[in-house]
Amino acid sequence: MKELSEVIFVEELKYTEDHEWVTGSGATLKVGISDYAQDQLGDIVFVELPEVGATFAKGDQFGTLESVKAVSELYLPVGGEIVAVNDALGDAPELINQDPYGNWIVEIKPSDTSELEQLLSVDAYRQLLRG
Amino acid sequence: MENPKKTVLHGWHVDQGANMALFGNYDMPLWYKTGAKAEHLAVIGAAGIFDTSHMAAVAVRGQGARALLQLCLSKDLKTCLGKEKNSLVDGRCVYGIFLAEDGSVIDDAILYQLGPESFMVVVNAGMGGIIATHLKKYGDSQNVDVQDLTDKVGKMDIQGPLAAIILQKVLGNSESVFDRLPYFSFKGGFGPFAADSAVTLVDGTSVLVSRTGYTGEFGFELFVEIDRLLPLWTLLLDAGMDKGMLACGLAARDSLRAGAVLPLSHQDIGAWPFLHNPWQFALSWNNAMTSFTKDFIGGPALLQSHFQKYTLPFAGFDPRKINAGEGSFVTRESGEHLGTILTCTTDMAIGRVDGAIVSVAGNKDFQAKGLCCGFVLLEQPCAPGEKVVLTDGKRKIVVEIRVDVRPNRTARRPMDKMLGC
Repeated sequence: MKELSEVIFVEELKYTEDHEWVTGSGATLKVGISDYAQDQLGDIVFVELPEVGATFAKGDQFGTLESVKAVSELYLPVGGEIVAVNDALGDAPELINQDPYGNWIVEIKPSDTSELEQLLSVDAYRQLLRG
Repeated sequence: MENPKKTVLHGWHVDQGANMALFGNYDMPLWYKTGAKAEHLAVIGAAGIFDTSHMAAVAVRGQGARALLQLCLSKDLKTCLGKEKNSLVDGRCVYGIFLAEDGSVIDDAILYQLGPESFMVVVNAGMGGIIATHLKKYGDSQNVDVQDLTDKVGKMDIQGPLAAIILQKVLGNSESVFDRLPYFSFKGGFGPFAADSAVTLVDGTSVLVSRTGYTGEFGFELFVEIDRLLPLWTLLLDAGMDKGMLACGLAARDSLRAGAVLPLSHQDIGAWPFLHNPWQFALSWNNAMTSFTKDFIGGPALLQSHFQKYTLPFAGFDPRKINAGEGSFVTRESGEHLGTILTCTTDMAIGRVDGAIVSVAGNKDFQAKGLCCGFVLLEQPCAPGEKVVLTDGKRKIVVEIRVDVRPNRTARRPMDKMLGC
C-alpha cells in the first residue's frame, strides 16, 4: 500500500470524494481515477464503459472497474453526455494502474458547468485522504 | 474489537509495501507491489511463496488420539489413502472436515500422522482454540492430549511448477526428501513434532515438508518453529529470485484456489449441512453413497438431512464479477430466483477460446484476460453447462455451472517430472 507521501497528485486536476479526477476547460471534461484509487483497487482486470451518447446526472453510475479484489462503481462527477470513451482500456485495463492520470476513462460534455465548482481542489483532496 | 494479530512476517510484508487487510483477525497482505495478477501468474508459470502462519495447528497425541480423530474428522482414517483405500500411516496426511453434531461445518483441516499416537491438525486462522475445545469435548483426557498451538507454529507455502527446484536449493538433503513424496505426503518434523528422520534446511533448521497446498498447483507447505519462519522465508526468496518466483498475497491465493475448485472455510462451506457440494470426497461415503463407512460426529445428521441447497462451481465468459454478499443473488436467465453467491473472483490465468476454457499453463502464447469464477449456493440442482445469472440488482453477468474451472493444474504431477522442468 502506498504511503500518502508516495501517492501521486496532479496539481491542476479537480478531484471527487469518490477518488476520481476531472480535467478540461469546460466544453468537454475527461474523467479518470486517482493514483490513490488505483493503488487501493489493485490490478484492474476489466473496465465496463458506457455508450457514447448516453447522458447521466451528477453522481449517476456510468461504469464499473473490475479489480482482482472486487467490482467498483464509477460515478459521474458532473452531469452530462458521454462524448467519448477510452477504448484502449478494453484491451489493456491495466493501463489505469500503470498511469492513472494519463489514462482517462470517459470524456463528457457537462450539462451544467456550475457543478464543476463542487469538485475538490488538489489540496482539499489531499486533506480528504489524510482523514 | 480486539487488535488485529500479526504474523512473524508482518514487518516484512509492510516493508515491501504490501496492501494489507484483515483476514481471520490477522493483518495480512492482499498483494505486494507486483500486484495480484502477476502473483497469480507466477504460481502458474514459476512459483510463489505465501505467508500462511495465520493458520492454526492443534497437536493431538496419546493412545486415544487416532480414535478421537476418527470420531471427529469426516474422513475415514482406515480407508482414506489412495485408490486402494489404505489406512492413514505415518508420513501421510488427509483433508477432512470437522462437523458439528447437526452436520454443519466447524472448519476444514489437514490431518498429519507423525506417528501412531502423534497427529497434527492444521486448521484455519482463529480456529485452533475452537477445534481444540471441540476435540477435548469428545476425547478422554486420560488417553489423549489436545494442545492448541495457535501462533506457535511457523508455516509458509511454496506453490508452482518450479517449487521443488527452488526448495531443493535450501534443503540440506533434498534428494532423500523428494524421493517418494507423493501428493498428500510429508517428511521431517519441527519443534513440537520432532521427527526421527529429520529434514533440515541448509542452515540446519528442522522443517516439515508437506506436498500439499491451496492453489491447485504443484508445491509444498512448510512448517518450522515460529522463530525460524523469517529465515526460511528469506532463504526461499533468495533461492527463487532468478526463477520468476514472487511473494504472493491473499488475493492471488483466493483466485488460485477458486480456479482450482477448492473451498474457503466459513465462506463456501460453513454453518449449513456439508452436503450437495463438490467436496463430498471429504466424507467417508460408502461406494453406493448411501451411508458412511464409519460413525463420526455430524454423520448421522447428514444422513437424515433434508437440506436442499446445492453448492456449485461456476465460470464466466470474461473477467467481470459480481461482488458476493448481501444484495447479490443468482437467477435463471428467465429471472427466476435460484440462490446466492458464495465466492466470486477472477482467475487471471484462464480465458475462453471458442467457448472452452484455456489456461496459460502449457499454452505459452495464450494471452489470458481472466475469467470470473467461484461458487454459488442454489435452491435447485443445476447441471454442468447450464447458464445462470449473477446480479447485484443492477448489473447482470451470465456464468456457466461447471464441474471444474482451471485446466492443466499441476498439484498431482509426479515429483520427478517437476524436478526435470
